[in-house]
Amino acid sequence: MLTAILRYHSARAAVIVLGLIVALALFGPVLAPFDPLEQDTSAILQGPSGTHWLGTDNVGRDVFSRLLAGSTVSVLSALQCVVVGFLLGVIPGFLSVYLGRSVEWFTLRLMDALITLPFLVFAVAMTALLGNGLAQAMFAVGILIAPAFYRVTRAAALTVANSQYVEAAELMGADTSWIIRRHAVRKVLPAVGVTFAAMTGASLVIVSSLTFLGIGVVPPDPTWGGLLASGLQYLYQVPFGPVVPALLIVATVWALNAIADALRDATGRPARRAPRKQEVTSDVH
Amino acid sequence: MSTDTLDATSAPDTTRPRRPVLTVSDLRIALDDGTELVRGVDFSLAPGEALGIVGESGSGKSLTCRAILGILPGGIDVTAGSIDFDGIELTDLGRKQWRPLRGTRIAAVFQDPASYLNPSIRVGEQLAEALRSTLGLSRADAKRRGLELFRKMGLIDADTVYRQYPHELSGGMLQRVLIAIAVSAEPELLIADEATTALDVTVQAEVLDLLEDLREELGLALVLVSHDLAVVAQVCDSVIVMRDGAVVESGRADDLLTAPRHEYTRQLVDNHREYGLESFIGKEAARV
Amino acid sequence: MSEPLLRMTDVRVERGLRGARKQILHGVDLTIDAGEKVGLIGESGSGKTTLARTILGLITPTAGSVEIRGQRVDDLPAAQRRAHRRTGTVQYVFQDPLLSLDPDIPVGESIAEGLIVRGGLDRDVVRSRVAAVLSSVGLDAGIAARIPAELSGGQRQRIAIARALVLDPALLLLDEPVSALDSVNRIQILKLLTELGHSRQLAQLFISHDLGAVAALVDRIVVLYRGNIVEDGPTHQVISDPQHPYTALLVGSAPTLSGGAVTRERRRELRLRLP
Repeated sequence: MLTAILRYHSARAAVIVLGLIVALALFGPVLAPFDPLEQDTSAILQGPSGTHWLGTDNVGRDVFSRLLAGSTVSVLSALQCVVVGFLLGVIPGFLSVYLGRSVEWFTLRLMDALITLPFLVFAVAMTALLGNGLAQAMFAVGILIAPAFYRVTRAAALTVANSQYVEAAELMGADTSWIIRRHAVRKVLPAVGVTFAAMTGASLVIVSSLTFLGIGVVPPDPTWGGLLASGLQYLYQVPFGPVVPALLIVATVWALNAIADALRDATGRPARRAPRKQEVTSDVH
Repeated sequence: MSTDTLDATSAPDTTRPRRPVLTVSDLRIALDDGTELVRGVDFSLAPGEALGIVGESGSGKSLTCRAILGILPGGIDVTAGSIDFDGIELTDLGRKQWRPLRGTRIAAVFQDPASYLNPSIRVGEQLAEALRSTLGLSRADAKRRGLELFRKMGLIDADTVYRQYPHELSGGMLQRVLIAIAVSAEPELLIADEATTALDVTVQAEVLDLLEDLREELGLALVLVSHDLAVVAQVCDSVIVMRDGAVVESGRADDLLTAPRHEYTRQLVDNHREYGLESFIGKEAARV
Repeated sequence: MSEPLLRMTDVRVERGLRGARKQILHGVDLTIDAGEKVGLIGESGSGKTTLARTILGLITPTAGSVEIRGQRVDDLPAAQRRAHRRTGTVQYVFQDPLLSLDPDIPVGESIAEGLIVRGGLDRDVVRSRVAAVLSSVGLDAGIAARIPAELSGGQRQRIAIARALVLDPALLLLDEPVSALDSVNRIQILKLLTELGHSRQLAQLFISHDLGAVAALVDRIVVLYRGNIVEDGPTHQVISDPQHPYTALLVGSAPTLSGGAVTRERRRELRLRLP
């Protein structure tokens, strides 16, 4: 799948950007020139300079270092959210198709209920319940993302389950697990892959929104959303403040969506019409 | 390889030769890159006459029909020859010029009726819409005429069928609906491209009967394309056999199909006889 | 007296939800002996597809029984039904190979699927069986690596037949085997089916709406009309001397090169006599 998308220009750029972001997330804290928590009251709200590449914040902490540290937090949280959604969505998606009516009914109603819940409100409620931490908030959001995975998995699995080639396998005595392994997984994977990429982007936006609002953040830990918020707060003193956090968020989300698009283009199959006697009538080459 | 040009004078009719309604001369169709798909087709059709085009997929028979209707797919064009319909050169026409012809004077029916109907509109309404646009009838008149047409097509419960959606009707009924739409403006030429191929054999017999009737009543000239030699034998006066874009044999249907001259036609006929019902029916037909 | 291969006794099938039940098959009796070639003719709405699916165990009859070699197969619990299917005694060739072959899997693997599910054979044996069955349908072994989309319609249909043959069935059900093909391929497949019928001790049940398509392939014709078997006899006899008006109508409706076996009036008359 990955090699297929590299044919698209936008995807190539996106992969590079994403690679950089991931590198930042992994190695950021190590590369940071300053301790992101170290305060220096003599250098408050300075603009970019030789020592502080992106300036300092209101208590003299180096913004660049904070951004690097924040990358890890933000990216990992987004990933955590998506993985939770993936597991809670894909598995019920398969089960609903193969385990009979009651499971189907139950999972459908469950997912219907989840869809109705508003993300941010739910996340806030969860943090009140489970404690104020980003992990808890993202777990909650992960639950809310599950329906997207569920729907996509279910749709693909249903198409496969109703197909004639699966019926042919059944007629030869194949059991359900064989059919899933041999036929269903291959068909479900592309759609789920697209959803995964797109949902990671969505999760990142949610992480940033939550941290922007100060939810799930345990100060003084840095996050992209938090940095964006504080940048906006001190816009007058440091006009440049919010730009870089905003750019990082935008760039990452763009890259993820571009990859999702490319995946969809690369793996989508043109819808087949009901076959007719093609060979008799279509001598239009 | 004989490519006799057919014209009205070779018709068996005792009436004096009439001016042909359709004359195709040396028609050549090719892809944009120059590959020829149809290589010089000739035939002509008198009013009320039925011509069969027989051939396998890739023979060019469907492309020929599409050229006559002016609906060749993108990338494929007529490169030479002419298609004369009652004095009008069809290959020269632009979209606007086609409008008064298509659906009114020249009509067509294809293989899969369901795909030519809007699944979310009742079939009666679709016929009425065709009548309003081609004949300019009022709503009330269009409905009345529509019901009449349905009855004429052998749709027994015309009022009920009129109100039904395509998915509620069988293949045979849908094909009748499409034929109704096709002949609603009393065209002079009807092209049926594998129109009965997808139908059950008893239904096919009825639809072929219907086409017979229309020929008589409306003086409709018919071009019937089929891979089934017997269908062509039953309905058509004359036949052309196509292979790889060229006409390999042409002549009167009863001659050509019972005593073919060209090797390819002979092979087609042999194949049909070997695996068809022919050998079983034979002279027992009268008993049935 | 040896047992028939397939015996259906008074099979009734109803479909639909409570309150809107519809009878599709009204007490069908059908027997097929080993090696017999039978044509089941029925038009749309006759119930022929339901009948085929009942034989295959995809539909459970509301009443009556289906026996394969004397063993009842219509009321088996899932595990036993799978076991019965793995024996490969009854195999099915779908009408449209484009739909019945997994589009993403090489055709060789689709053919081998039955053997692998059955188990007990190592990979080399499987491969050689696949090659053998490919050659018996007139295809080169190298084709096994291709996916269905890369093949022509005629080739795909041969693959579908090969898949059905690889388990060495005793009864082969074929659903409209040539209706989706053009004349060239049609003749080739018909020839292939005739050959296969001769060479193996293989019973064949051809299901079709077109009498003409299968008449030359079968010794016996069974006509299904609105869920009832209305005619069952040797091919020649059924066609030349049909007992039921529907059969007469079927035979009479088929166009022939000499221009129609039966007149319109006669057809109309027959239609009126139909139940």
